[in-house]
Amino acid sequence: MSKSDKTIQQKMTALNEMVLWFQSDDFVLEEAVEKFKQADALATEIDTDLSALKNEITVLATRFDKE
Amino acid sequence: MDDVLLSVSDFVALTNQTLEYAYPSVSIVGEVAEYRINQGKWVSFKLKDEGAVLNMFASVHQIRIPLEDGMKVVITGQPRLNAKGYFSISLRSVKPVGEGSIKKGFELLKAKLDAEGLFAPERKRTVPRIPRKIGVITSTESAAYADFCRIVNERWGGLEIVVAHTQVQGEPAPDQIIRALRHLNGLEEPPEVIVIIRGGGSAEDLATFNDEPLVRAIAESRVPTMVGVGHEIDHTLADMVADVRVATPTHAAETVVPDRQEIIRSVHAQARSIMPMVLSAIENAKRRIREYTMQANTNLQLQHSRVLEQLRNVRMVIAELDPQKVLERGYAVVRGIPKVGETVEIETIKQYITAEVTHVKKR
Repeated sequence: MSKSDKTIQQKMTALNEMVLWFQSDDFVLEEAVEKFKQADALATEIDTDLSALKNEITVLATRFDKE
Repeated sequence: MDDVLLSVSDFVALTNQTLEYAYPSVSIVGEVAEYRINQGKWVSFKLKDEGAVLNMFASVHQIRIPLEDGMKVVITGQPRLNAKGYFSISLRSVKPVGEGSIKKGFELLKAKLDAEGLFAPERKRTVPRIPRKIGVITSTESAAYADFCRIVNERWGGLEIVVAHTQVQGEPAPDQIIRALRHLNGLEEPPEVIVIIRGGGSAEDLATFNDEPLVRAIAESRVPTMVGVGHEIDHTLADMVADVRVATPTHAAETVVPDRQEIIRSVHAQARSIMPMVLSAIENAKRRIREYTMQANTNLQLQHSRVLEQLRNVRMVIAELDPQKVLERGYAVVRGIPKVGETVEIETIKQYITAEVTHVKKR
């Protein structure tokens, strides 16, 4: 996972919150450009993470044909 | 054996020994008749065809599907002679056979479980949109499993997938799946969803997923369940009772995880959606500044007009007070001391007149 230790889900939540900030009453034009850069970087980070991740498949050794 | 004298008990025991040796397990097909449940514990019925009738005996938990008179079934069991001289088959399993009986068994169990509320929508739990750990119960030798893994790997990453290999058809399958369900539920870190999958097959193959104890085990699972069995057209009680019902193993793979390409497109779209908002905010700010400027200009002009008006009024008042105006109206200015014998100067609009004061009288 790139840069931060956040999970993809946490990063997606953070991105969503950033977008919501632009629609909220907290929006301040002076901070907007910096926030936009952060959001764009986060989207790229999520893209990188998602493209790189592999699944780990474990077949249990336990046998279920006996009690 | 002619000269051997046996007690009745010995004969029964010997017969059973012989039967056990000759028929350790028999499978017989026939039609159910006189089906009874005694004391809620024991099941008895007759299995018949056109020429003969056999007595069947079992405990309730051995009968995994509801039975009804007239259903065609295959029983597996062991023939026994009991101490009262009653010959019966001790059942190990009963399976409906033939489309009609399978359908009948399905409908009976469906109605029973439905009456208990096992299929009620309010029982359905949601599964995480992006799970971190999933459990899979299936035959790892099946094409359905290979498809499931391929699609999940294409769609998403970073998952921990724990797979329990079981049979997915045949008599042992339901109990194996039940054990696997319990095992996954009992893990120290259980999965967030358990997916049970099996590819297509005949109605008899899929009968595993209409097994009452299995359906109940799925309903009792603490971990939310997703069941994808057979093809689109197949409906089993297992998928009806699951928290998430999916049509096929492929559909299960597509449902249990989101598509990473879709998410990537979505997050970039989210980021891009910000720029129009910023531009719109800048436009709004510009518009407000323009409005403020126009307002300020208007106010300035108003103030300017007001001051000019005041100035005009003052000038008018000053003009009215001009002595020349008074003289024009016929008045005169008298300068000097108004005492008898003194000289005063009188100014009119046209003349300066010098005059001597001859008389002064108070008003």
